[in-house]
Amino acid sequence: MGSSVSHAANPPSPPPPAPVVGLAGVLPPKTEEKGETKVDWLNLPCPVPFEEIQREALMSLKPELFEGLRFDFTKGLNQKFSLSHSVFMGSMEVPSQSSDTIKVPTSHYEFGANFLDPKLMLVGRVLTDGRLNARVKCDLTDNLTLKINAQLTNEPHYSQGMFNFDYKGKDYRSQFQIGNNAFYGANYIQSVSPHLSLGSEVFWLGHQRKSGIGFAARYNTDKMVATGQVASTGIVALSYVQKVSEKVSLASDFMYNHMTRDVTSSFGYDYILRQCRLRGKIDSAGCVAAYLEERLNMGINFILSAEIDHRKKDYKFGFGMTVGE
Amino acid sequence: MASRVSSKGKGKAGRGAEDGPTARFVKEWSTWTMKKAKVIAHYGFIPLIIVIGMNSEPKPHLSQLLSPV
Repeated sequence: MGSSVSHAANPPSPPPPAPVVGLAGVLPPKTEEKGETKVDWLNLPCPVPFEEIQREALMSLKPELFEGLRFDFTKGLNQKFSLSHSVFMGSMEVPSQSSDTIKVPTSHYEFGANFLDPKLMLVGRVLTDGRLNARVKCDLTDNLTLKINAQLTNEPHYSQGMFNFDYKGKDYRSQFQIGNNAFYGANYIQSVSPHLSLGSEVFWLGHQRKSGIGFAARYNTDKMVATGQVASTGIVALSYVQKVSEKVSLASDFMYNHMTRDVTSSFGYDYILRQCRLRGKIDSAGCVAAYLEERLNMGINFILSAEIDHRKKDYKFGFGMTVGE
Repeated sequence: MASRVSSKGKGKAGRGAEDGPTARFVKEWSTWTMKKAKVIAHYGFIPLIIVIGMNSEPKPHLSQLLSPV
């Protein structure tokens, strides 16, 4: 039969090169690798929300370490609605006045329901002792969001709640907070350059007649994020995260409390690999911690958590499993 | 002088005879509302999520809610 290659549709011949005119023929051509050297000052990107200014450092340096057994099962009923069952058996630390750590063996079962819609998010978790954790996020308009966060308990005067109204502008974000115990707060963050954003916050506690103001700055590029925060409560917090490669990030953190003359600094790594995520950190308080999440199969994750505090001689090891997305 | 001192000390409640009962009434009513709202939220939030979820598309079956699979 011969070859079935048809010559009917000839590929179009390449267009003749455009004639070089004027100065373009004399100067070397502009290379694409240099990138945009001209900054468009009227089109700056929207900054991250104020409370997430240290998000990369917190994700790498503060995993949810636990002691004991943890089992989480999430069952999706449809795209938006899912139920979760969670069992925990282990010791929880009770804050104590002295330097000794007091551990109380606890076990609880937690039932949760999540409804996730692009415009409305409802997350509720209830424990066996009657405590309810509720989170609501609702987009009232394109730019205005209402967030409600509440922990309700059966004991009187122990419940907490916070209402946040967020407004997102073109290159700024502002937030107003109302909490229980007459807590009022507001914060504002603005992009001043494609990489740098500055923000500030004020808060007022009604019952104790205390108020405070704080300032924050965040500088980020594709490879690194550096943040600094200063507050009138006497806290200075700095952090730096460097993304060494697609899979590895290194993070470090420094916090100084002027009232208690407390200085803490920590350094950690975050490996995000195909089958697992490993985070480790070492602290200036003599604390070494690691957290491993290993993906055994589709939807089944195995978790190991370890925290060794050499100074207080407190050793915490935990293991768990997460089933479901 | 005495009334000024007492108003500074007591805040809103001691300002004047006509504001006293109204301010107290508003404060008591708002406290009662917050208490009732807290009880309603405590018992009703999770059932509210379940009702909204069961009515979203595609509608899940009641047996899916109760079975562990």
